[in-house]
Amino acid sequence: MDATPAGGRAGTRKVDTGLGGKLGDQLFAGIAWAAGIVVLLLIVGIILVMLVGGSHALQVFGVGFLTHAVWNPVVDHYGAAAPVFGTLVTSFIGLLVAVPLAFGVAFFLTEMAPGWLSQPVGTAVELLAAVPSIIFGMWGFFVIVPVMAQDVQPALIDTIGHAPIIGRLFSGAPFGTGLLTGGLILAVMITPFIAAVMRDVFNSMPAVLKESAYGLGSTRWEVMRKVVMPWSRVAVSGGIMLGLGRALGETMAITFVIGNSNRIGASLFAPGNTIASLIALEFPESPAGSLKLSALLALGLILMVISFITLACSRLLLRQRGN
Amino acid sequence: MNDQIGQNAAARPQQGVSFAQTRGAPQALAPGRAMLSLRGLDFYYGANHALKNISIDFPEQRVTGLIGPSGCGKSTLLRVMNRMYDLYPGQRATGEVLLDGQNIIAPGTDTNALRSRVGMVFQKPTPFPMSIFDNVAFGVRLHESLDRAAMEARIEDALRRVALWAEVKDRLRAPAAALSGGQQQRLCIARTIATRPEVILLDEPTSALDPISTARIEELLDELKVEFTIAIVTHNLQQAARCADQVAFFYMGELVEVAPADRLFTAPREKRTQDYITGRFG
Repeated sequence: MDATPAGGRAGTRKVDTGLGGKLGDQLFAGIAWAAGIVVLLLIVGIILVMLVGGSHALQVFGVGFLTHAVWNPVVDHYGAAAPVFGTLVTSFIGLLVAVPLAFGVAFFLTEMAPGWLSQPVGTAVELLAAVPSIIFGMWGFFVIVPVMAQDVQPALIDTIGHAPIIGRLFSGAPFGTGLLTGGLILAVMITPFIAAVMRDVFNSMPAVLKESAYGLGSTRWEVMRKVVMPWSRVAVSGGIMLGLGRALGETMAITFVIGNSNRIGASLFAPGNTIASLIALEFPESPAGSLKLSALLALGLILMVISFITLACSRLLLRQRGN
Repeated sequence: MNDQIGQNAAARPQQGVSFAQTRGAPQALAPGRAMLSLRGLDFYYGANHALKNISIDFPEQRVTGLIGPSGCGKSTLLRVMNRMYDLYPGQRATGEVLLDGQNIIAPGTDTNALRSRVGMVFQKPTPFPMSIFDNVAFGVRLHESLDRAAMEARIEDALRRVALWAEVKDRLRAPAAALSGGQQQRLCIARTIATRPEVILLDEPTSALDPISTARIEELLDELKVEFTIAIVTHNLQQAARCADQVAFFYMGELVEVAPADRLFTAPREKRTQDYITGRFG
């Protein structure tokens, strides 16, 4: 323990340590250093496992691993394109729905809700964020999928399904499962995260700036659209990225409702797959040392890279606001 | 002890007043038509009775200065006159605030229309996160749809009146945040007058500014009062003496005294006014 660099460094300092004494201080410094180092080792270790484990598949398939949509364990041919496609599409749908919804929640909470209502709604948002994803999965499977199959999807097919170009997105058999349903479940899951960030940002806006806008005769919506939104644009984007990060890595909720098929199709009703969902489903059937296991680890690497990029973007956007 | 101080002060009334004479001494205020009249106004922050039975007239084309120690209710009074308090739950006003004879604190008043008639400028400059041009155009666009030429003319007129045009005419599309504090405050005044209000409320508009910027804004008030009815809250008694035609002294939520500026600063009728303007408290 004493051999840690922290112990040595703390020992050379003349600090009045009070009750704990010198030994206590060294011990504490050692623990704090160890905790910090462990996190660093963990992240490096995880990346290494993904890299080393996935290197076999990456060597066999090369860049084609990213572009091939085939996932065929029978002939041992694997490509990541379908699950990457499914991950991006479901996350995009999730954001498309969640951002306006979260905006509405945050706007309501900061500007409109009467005191007696803002507290319960605020708490409900926080609780929604605390619901485990497996619950969302079951709820999606038993409630949302039947509703999608019987009502929503047939209605969409009958209406915008006939439109040119975008009609293709809403065609096919209404199974209830698929990319659209997966995206909607994700939307429900990430809305509270985005709403929480937006609420904090809106609240941190100087009251006098809002009052200036009201003072010129603006309505609430005009204040929001012309003053609050431009002012908070960057921080809100950061919050959206945070939600996106969660959507990309979501596993259980998606697995229940996405249909689990490694295909790329034009229709949003078609079953698909996400990276996380595919790994969860196939992992138990992948023997150690197999090419399949290596392909799954390579998929994990891809997911991590996508998530890191998203996180970096959100950090960058949130930091800019500080200046 | 206190009495003695009071007597001392009364014995040399000149002391608290010398600055009042720097002004071009307008004779007894010719009472113009009252643009705003408050009648028996009470205001509450929840259970806190912040303004007590206030009655006062704001004459047209005059500057009314509101003075008094912190927390006396003078800023609150401004926030009643454009119903800014509406934004916050638990704040309410009773009595009458007559704008051109119409009680604006009655339920059913269109507050958006009201605020286009009663503009407000705050203690700190509050430029919106947009260009100089868009800042001034902001309020105009809310209430009128002008074509491009008319809008540009309106913006130029507003910026000229606050003596900012020469400084910004080449960079109207630059963000307003790039201006100096004094320029930003003049921009905020331009933004307010661009909507052509009838009344302008100023809440310590120069307290965050340097002396030169302050002097410019004070000059500006003299020019603006030709067209607008102006109410200005200030902590600076010299400023009230320089700018205001009529001055109202508030203390603990009450209107203690209202009088033409030269009279209030030279011969206050109330002892509390006397104590305040001679620096006994506040």
